Amino acid sequence: MEKLSYDAVIIGAGLAGLMAAHEISKAGYSAAVISKVFPTRSHSAAAEGGIAAYVNGNSDPNDSPDYMAYDTIKGGDYLVDQDAAELLAYKSGEIVELLEKWGALFNRQPDGRIALRYFGGQTYPRTRFVGDKTGMALLHTLYERTSGSGKVDFYFEWFAWELIRDESRVRGVVAFDMRNMVPFFFKAKAVVIAAGGMGMLYRHTTNSYIGTGDGYAMALRARVALKDPEFVQFHPTALYPSDILISEAARGEGAVLKNAKGERFMTRYAPKKLDLAPRDIVSRAIITEIKEGRGFPGGYVGLDISHLGEEYIKERLALAYEAAKTFSGVDATKELIPIRPAHHYYMGGIDVDITGKNPDVIGLFAAGEAACVSVHGANRLGSNSLLETLVFGRETGNEVVKFLQSFTEPSSDIDKEAEKAEQSAYDIVKKESGVHFGDILEKLRDYMWEFVGIYRDENGLKNAVSEILKLREQMKNMYVLDKSKVYNTEFYNALELKNMIDLGLVIASTALNRKESRGAHYRTDYPKRDDQNWLKHTIAYLSGNTVEITYKPVKMTKWKPEERVY
Amino acid sequence: MSLKNEEAEVIIKVKRYTQEKGFYWQEYKLKVDRFTQFTEALRRIKSEQDPTLAYRASCHMAVCGSCGMKINGEPKLACKTLVLDVIKKYGSNVITIEPMDYFKPVKDLVVDLDDFYNRMHKVKPRLYPSNEVLEGKAEHRLKPEDQKVLWKFAQCIWCGLCVSACPAVQEDPEFLGPAAHAKGFRFLADPRDTITEERLKILIDSAWRCTYCYMCYNVCPRDIEPVTAIKKTRAFSRLAKDKTEVIKTGEKHTEAVHSSIFDSGKIMGSRVYLSTYGLLGSMKEMIFLMQSGKLKYALVKEKAVENIQEVRKLLRG
Ligand SMILES: Cc1cc2nc3c(=O)[nH]c(=O)nc-3n(C[C@H](O)[C@H](O)[C@H](O)COP(=O)(O)OP(=O)(O)OC[C@H]3O[C@@H](n4cnc5c(N)ncnc54)[C@H](O)[C@@H]3O)c2cc1C
Ligand code: SF4
Ligand code: SF4
Ligand code: FES
Repeated sequence: MEKLSYDAVIIGAGLAGLMAAHEISKAGYSAAVISKVFPTRSHSAAAEGGIAAYVNGNSDPNDSPDYMAYDTIKGGDYLVDQDAAELLAYKSGEIVELLEKWGALFNRQPDGRIALRYFGGQTYPRTRFVGDKTGMALLHTLYERTSGSGKVDFYFEWFAWELIRDESRVRGVVAFDMRNMVPFFFKAKAVVIAAGGMGMLYRHTTNSYIGTGDGYAMALRARVALKDPEFVQFHPTALYPSDILISEAARGEGAVLKNAKGERFMTRYAPKKLDLAPRDIVSRAIITEIKEGRGFPGGYVGLDISHLGEEYIKERLALAYEAAKTFSGVDATKELIPIRPAHHYYMGGIDVDITGKNPDVIGLFAAGEAACVSVHGANRLGSNSLLETLVFGRETGNEVVKFLQSFTEPSSDIDKEAEKAEQSAYDIVKKESGVHFGDILEKLRDYMWEFVGIYRDENGLKNAVSEILKLREQMKNMYVLDKSKVYNTEFYNALELKNMIDLGLVIASTALNRKESRGAHYRTDYPKRDDQNWLKHTIAYLSGNTVEITYKPVKMTKWKPEERVY
Repeated sequence: MSLKNEEAEVIIKVKRYTQEKGFYWQEYKLKVDRFTQFTEALRRIKSEQDPTLAYRASCHMAVCGSCGMKINGEPKLACKTLVLDVIKKYGSNVITIEPMDYFKPVKDLVVDLDDFYNRMHKVKPRLYPSNEVLEGKAEHRLKPEDQKVLWKFAQCIWCGLCVSACPAVQEDPEFLGPAAHAKGFRFLADPRDTITEERLKILIDSAWRCTYCYMCYNVCPRDIEPVTAIKKTRAFSRLAKDKTEVIKTGEKHTEAVHSSIFDSGKIMGSRVYLSTYGLLGSMKEMIFLMQSGKLKYALVKEKAVENIQEVRKLLRG
C-alpha cells in the first residue's frame, strides 16, 4: 500500500477541519486535510441562519457572555458541560471578528458594525449572519484562507475509511483516492476527526447527502467511545416535502407558525417564547398539531413570513424565499410556507474534552459536529453549531500543536494493520452476488425515522435495535456491481452504509437505555426529565453486536439545573 | 392552503461515460411527483435501479455547487431543477442528462474540475487586509452598501457551469473565465484589500478577453452575473500599469462607447465597433454574433456604460 506521512491528518474539510488545519499548519507542522468532497461542498456550506456571538461593544448592552453560556446550558436541558459552554461564549466574539478580518461579508448595521438578529432560546439577540447563507460565506472564507498559505495539503474526493491505532495511540488513517480507488496509508502523529454529521440515517433530513456518519463509525471501530449518542436534533421547519431547511432565522425575523385552522399554535406550547422556543419544543408542538388533526392534508403546518414585506424577505431571507418558490411552488411573500420537522443535527459525537482531546486513544482529536465537547447537551440552540466548529476547531488545532511539541516517535510497526483495513473495505468488491447498498439503506432510514425519531418509547426502540441487527447481518452479503476503479461511487456508498448501520445501532441502544425525557430525547413512556438518575453523559462503545454503555458526570460550574420553561 | 400534487412517469436518458467504453446512453424509467428534484431522481435511480451510475451531489439546496450538469441541453444545477418543470417546459416525458461541457469526463456525470479550480486559485481568492487590522490594532468597518455589492459577487459556489458554457474560455487560454472574474472582482472592489496592484495585473488583461456573449449571465444558478463583474473590472483599467495590447484595444473600445453616448445621448453600435476594431474587425464580429443568434446580446452589452459609472462611484467612495 502507498504511504504518506504527516504530523497531523485532519478528516473533514468543513469549518471545523479547516480551522484545525489552519492552526496546526500556522505553527509549522505538516497537515493533510482529507475530504470526500471539494472543501466548499462540505455540509457547512448549507448553514443558513447565522453564528451566535457576544461581541464586546457590539451586543445588546444588557447581554453578557454569561447570559450566552446560561442560554446554551438551559437550551441543552442541563446536559451541557458548563466549562465548555463558558469557553464557547467567551471566545465567540473573537472568532467572529477573526472571520470578519479574513473577509467574511457579514451583514452590517448602518454604522458599519456587524449586524445581529434573534435565534431560538436566546435571551438577547446574538446571531451574526451573512444573508441566509452564513455557512457558505464562512466556509468559502476559511477555505480560501487555508488554501492560500500553501502549507496545508488537500486531499479532496478522498474517502477516509479506517483509523489505524496500536495499543495506546493513533498511528494514522487508511483512505482511498476516489478517482482511482487506490488506498493510501496516511501515517500521522495526530489525527483530528472533523467528519461532520449523519443526517442520511433518517428518512427525512435537512442534511447533505454526504452526511453519513463516517467519523463516528471510524471511531467506534477503533474502540473509541461516543458521548450522548441518543441525542438527535429535529428541526421544526423543514420545507414540505423536500426537507430543505427553512432557517430559524425566519422565526428570528418574526415568522409565525400557523396550523390549518389559522391558529398561532405556539401559544399553547411556549406561551412566553412562542415561535422562538428551542427546537425540540417547537418540533414536538408541530407533530402534535398534525397528529391531532390540525395540520394540512399530507402532514404539515404553515410558516407565515408574508407580513415582513417583500423587500425585507428578499434581502434577509433570500434562501427561504427561493427554496419555497423553487421546491414547493409557494410565493412566501403572499402564502404560508409548508413545513414539518426533519432530522437536522447530531448532539452526540466522539467523546472529547474542551481541548478536543479524546480520552481513549493518545493522539486522537475530534471537532465540529463529529465531536461531543459537549456544548449542546440534549438540544442545540440555533447558530451555536457554526460557532462551535470554529471555536473548538481552533482549540483543537492548538492542542494538537502542543501534543506535537512533546511527541516521541513510537518504534512498533503497524503497516500490517493498515493492510487489514484495506482488505476489510475490499471484501465487498470481491463478492459476486448478494444485496446492494440501496436495499438496506432505505430500510435503515425508515426504522430510524419511525422508531428513533422525535417521539420514542420502549417498544419502538427495542424494535429498532432488533431490526438494525438484522440489517447488519444482511450487510455481510452486500456486494458492489460496479467493477470499475474509476470514481466508483457505489463502492463508497456501500462503505458509508456500513458506517451508518454501526452508528444506528448505537443510537437506538443508548436511546433505549435512557429512561427519561431530556431535550431532543423524548420518551412517551418517561415524559419527565429525571435529574436524580439521569443527569449524566452516556458513554458508548461498540463491540461486535454489543453496545457497551457507561455513564459519566456532567461538568457543572455556576448553574444549577432548573425547570426548563419558555 | 394545500399543495397541488401531480405525478408523472419519466424516461431519463443519461449520457454515460467510462474510459474503456467512451460515451453511451442509458435510459431509466421512474415515477416523479410535483416536487422531485433531479438530484433526488438520480439518488433513487442509484439506490433502486442502478448503483453503478456516478454523479456528484451534496447539499440538495443549490449552495454547494456539486451537481452541475446539462439537462435537456441546458447547463443547470440538478438539485435546483424539478423534473416535472422540465417535462412541462419541453412538452415531453423524455429528458436527457449529460455531463457539463468543456471539462474532461471522468465517469458518467462526473467531470474533472482541476482546470476550474486552477482558474479560481489564480485570482488569489482571499482578502489581504492590512497588518494593523490583522493584529487588531485597527478596525475596518464595511459600509452596508459596499457589503451588498461585494456579497453579490462573493456568492459563487464554484459549480463551474459558467465556465463550461463560456466560448471565450474554450478559445483563449489567457482568459481566466467568468467565475474567476467574479471572485477576482469581489476582492478587487473590497476597500479593505491591500494588493490592488497585483490584482490588476492578474485581472485586467483577461477582463478584455471576454466576448460579452452573456452565457455566464444566463446559466449562473446564483445570479452572480460574472459578465457584470468583468465589466466592472474593465473600469479599473485606467489604474493598471504596463498595459498589454489587449487592454489598450479594450480601453479604446470603451472610450468609443463613451464618446458615442456623450455625443449623441445614445449608443451608436456601429460607430463604437468601427473606432475600436476598425472596419474589418467589426464586420467579422457582427457576422459571428448574427450567426450564433447573439446579436441581441451585442446590444445588451452596450449597457456597460451605466455600470462603469457605478464602479467609478465605487472607486471614488
Ligand atoms: C441546512 C442546515 C442549516 C444549518 N444552519 C446552521 C446555522 O445557521 N447556524 C449554525 O450554527 N449551524 C447550522 N447548521 C449546522 C452546521 O451547519 C453544522 O453542524 C456544521 O457546519 C458542521 O461542520 P463540520 O465542520 O463539523 O462538518 P461538515 O461541514 O459537515 O464537514 C464534514 C467534512 O467531513 C468530510 N468527510 C466526512 N466523511 C468523510 C470520510 N469518510 N472521508 C473523508 N472525508 C469525510 C466531508 O467531506 C466534509 O468535508 C445547519 C445545518 C444544516 C443541515
Ligand atoms: S460573457 Fe464573457 S465570461 Fe461570460 S460566457 Fe461570455 S465570454 Fe464567457
Ligand atoms: S459564477 Fe455562477 S455559474 Fe459560475 S461557478 Fe460561480 S456560481 Fe457557478
Ligand atoms: S447538490 Fe449542492 S448545489 Fe446541487
